[in-house]
Amino acid sequence: MKKFLVLFLALIMVVLPLSACGDKNDGLSVCLSSEPDTLDPALNSAVDGATLISHLFSGLAKWAQDENGKLVIVPDAAKELVEGVVDATTGKVTYTYTLRDGLKWSDGKDVTAADFVFAWKRASSEELGADYAYMFEVVDGCPRYDDAGKRLNPNEELNVEAVDAKTLKVTLANAISYWNELLAFPTYFPVREDVVSKESWATKPKTYICNGPYTISKWKHNSVIVLKKNKNYIDADKITMDRINFYLSDDANNMLANFKNGTWKLIDDVPTAEIAALKTQYPNEFKVAGQIGTYYVCWNINEDILPNGTEEQRAEIRNAISLLFDRNHIVDAIAQGGQVPASSFVAMGMTNPDGTEFYKTAGHNDGFIGYYDVSATAYESNFAAAVETLKKYYTYDATTGKFTNFPTMTYLYNTSEGHKAIGEYLQAQLAKIGITMNLENQEWNTFLNTRKDGHYSIARNGWLADYNDPICFLDMWTTSSGNNDVQFGKGAHAGAAIYSLDLTALGYNINVTNGTWAQTYDVLIATIKSCTDNTKRYQLMHIAEDMLMSTGCICPLYYYTDLYMISDKVEGFYSNPLGYKYFMYCTVK
Amino acid sequence: MNSKTLLYILKRILLAILTIWIVITITFFVMHAIPGGPFLSEKAITPSAQAALEAKYGLDKPLAQQYFTYLKDVLRFDFGPSLKMRGQMVTDIIIDGLKTSAVLGLVGAVLAGVFGIVLGSVAALRRNKLVDKIIMVVTTAFVSMPSFIMGSLLLVLFTVTWMILPANGTTWQGLILPIITLSLYPMAYITRLTRSSMLDVLGQDYIRTAKAKGVSPVKIIFGHALKNSLIPVITYFGPMLAYIVTGSLVVEKIFAVPGIGRAFINSITNRDYPMVMGTTIVLAVLIVVMNLVSDILYKVVDPRINLE
Repeated sequence: MKKFLVLFLALIMVVLPLSACGDKNDGLSVCLSSEPDTLDPALNSAVDGATLISHLFSGLAKWAQDENGKLVIVPDAAKELVEGVVDATTGKVTYTYTLRDGLKWSDGKDVTAADFVFAWKRASSEELGADYAYMFEVVDGCPRYDDAGKRLNPNEELNVEAVDAKTLKVTLANAISYWNELLAFPTYFPVREDVVSKESWATKPKTYICNGPYTISKWKHNSVIVLKKNKNYIDADKITMDRINFYLSDDANNMLANFKNGTWKLIDDVPTAEIAALKTQYPNEFKVAGQIGTYYVCWNINEDILPNGTEEQRAEIRNAISLLFDRNHIVDAIAQGGQVPASSFVAMGMTNPDGTEFYKTAGHNDGFIGYYDVSATAYESNFAAAVETLKKYYTYDATTGKFTNFPTMTYLYNTSEGHKAIGEYLQAQLAKIGITMNLENQEWNTFLNTRKDGHYSIARNGWLADYNDPICFLDMWTTSSGNNDVQFGKGAHAGAAIYSLDLTALGYNINVTNGTWAQTYDVLIATIKSCTDNTKRYQLMHIAEDMLMSTGCICPLYYYTDLYMISDKVEGFYSNPLGYKYFMYCTVK
Repeated sequence: MNSKTLLYILKRILLAILTIWIVITITFFVMHAIPGGPFLSEKAITPSAQAALEAKYGLDKPLAQQYFTYLKDVLRFDFGPSLKMRGQMVTDIIIDGLKTSAVLGLVGAVLAGVFGIVLGSVAALRRNKLVDKIIMVVTTAFVSMPSFIMGSLLLVLFTVTWMILPANGTTWQGLILPIITLSLYPMAYITRLTRSSMLDVLGQDYIRTAKAKGVSPVKIIFGHALKNSLIPVITYFGPMLAYIVTGSLVVEKIFAVPGIGRAFINSITNRDYPMVMGTTIVLAVLIVVMNLVSDILYKVVDPRINLE
């Protein structure tokens, strides 16, 4: 038996010499996630998919690093990122782009302006049903629908045209600050009509015709996607990495094993239990990057936490409860991934027009940033203040330090160890003052459904930005939005006429007192969307966040971070604030 | 094979078809009854886009109509398109996954069978000797250790500490560890099964008779004892093969192997109805067929067994 084992091990060592080690000629091997749902630029809504698509397609603009290592948006297929021309009467803005000479698809055909027109109309169409169809809402004539699904502008179509083979003209409904960023977003990348006519085009290397730095040379489903440099790409000589192997795995422990033995040079996930050890073992390779997103707890606004109380009183109670949690503890002891305690809903990483951070100018309190003080020293006073507020509404037993008649609640989260640990912490904090909160976990899809339908009292929630503009955190809370998990303006809350909105100081003829959510917040969001003055627009967005936070229905816990490990042998790597990673200019030492 | 056996097999095949139809029906209705849907995502699409997608995939039709349409498609071996992996056909995804899972399962099963029978026989023949004791201790450990612990242990030792094998199942070398992990439990189980069954057979009268007649020990073991002691092993082998092909989800995850187990679980989370149905049917067929095969083998090994 022993002899046999020795023989077996010897055999393995002979047959597989160093098979575990990466070979430089094999290119760069990385692992972001498991098999992407789709690599169709219009249909993709995942971050890992966007990374792959950014290597395969070339839009009008792209994310790049300047000589100082700063992230910038630069022209890619377009000769330059032109300024828009504003129509003085309608406020519409028209951009006319000229495509660079010599742009080719990977099969050698020319890239034309018509390809962009086709791709944009396709991505925004109802028939395709893309998650990110709304990315085109800013373009004039984008299909709009009412709640019943009836088209509101049946006679319009997306206002984009190919003036000639090289000239693309697009008109926006109004000026927006993040237009160039959208041009670098995968949903805006071109596709060719004859290529995408078969739905299976984006699942096989042979039919996957693209126009970016790489083409797919091999795709072993659920295993590996191999990208090879596209010789037809106009800037192919600037691409330093000839081949990238995107391995597909969703197991953080497996990723780590492959990283530790040197096979994979970048892994986009690490086991939570290992974070502390990895930070010390791999100080130069363990990376924490900012990611524009917020982890928060949301209330169902129609949850009756104060029988016979008013909505204002419930808002005060919810806001008080937000103060009971020590966000530093959650970040340092539970999440452990370098996350930042959150004091506002619009995440860290969003910028004001003057370049300052949006979250730093949020809220209206003095002495701290945001809507409450989340510094470690403020926790105790916050807790005490919350208890004082709650005493106004519930019976407090001074001897035990507990409330005796706070209704029992249930915290809903999607099954995951991390969410559970945070849920248990919230539960323990509430139990300190006699509030019982049960925990209930549901499988992901069921959870989404329950939360969306408002069949919960409190739920775990999180939101990642799609582009660097606070509106993507704010327009999700309008009454008819599909992401309105809080149920603002729905059910009993539909009739709650308690909100005020006065925009006269900003030059608008809008002044509502004691209005409903639909009469105030929805109007405010519509105003923001049609506002062409950027400074004013950001003021309006701060007002919207103030309104949102005043309801107490959103209790932010932390701003997300993106944890990854990258070998110190890799140079030239960068990632953008949305978490897309770029390997084309990498070299391996 | 006589006509009685043929009739039996025919009956079993009909029964299998019935079983699979029941599985299809239950899965279909349960799947549609659980909350959520295939087009639900964290970033909600508009109700009109959702309606358009539902119409495209026929999900807007009454459930009963969807059911009959589905049955008709299944009869033509058409499992339809995946709702989540846009542009991919369920059949293609299943074949892709099954290829890897089949290699994993078949090699694992052969290893488990060969080593299990050999070790079991050795243990029986050396009963209460040191070899027997070692084998029993080791197999007890393998039987009681869950695959995720065994897998993680092998992963750390072979791919990180010693670095002699890759940690992902993209290449054939990467399949070695998952195969070992998968086969250890059934191997240990077969070892114990063979040992006890062999001990039982060795105590039978006909063995004593053979010994008394002066038949060589080799002939006694291979000619008489082994064949009969394999009957319980065969009973176990069929379902085990099905288990090892289908139940390797954990192992697939640990070693990043692109098998069918993961596709199955993900399809449920995604409410990818055609994918759930497709994988369920394939797995059900596999289990039913394996059971049938092991029953027939049973008869081949032991003619005394009456299949009726």
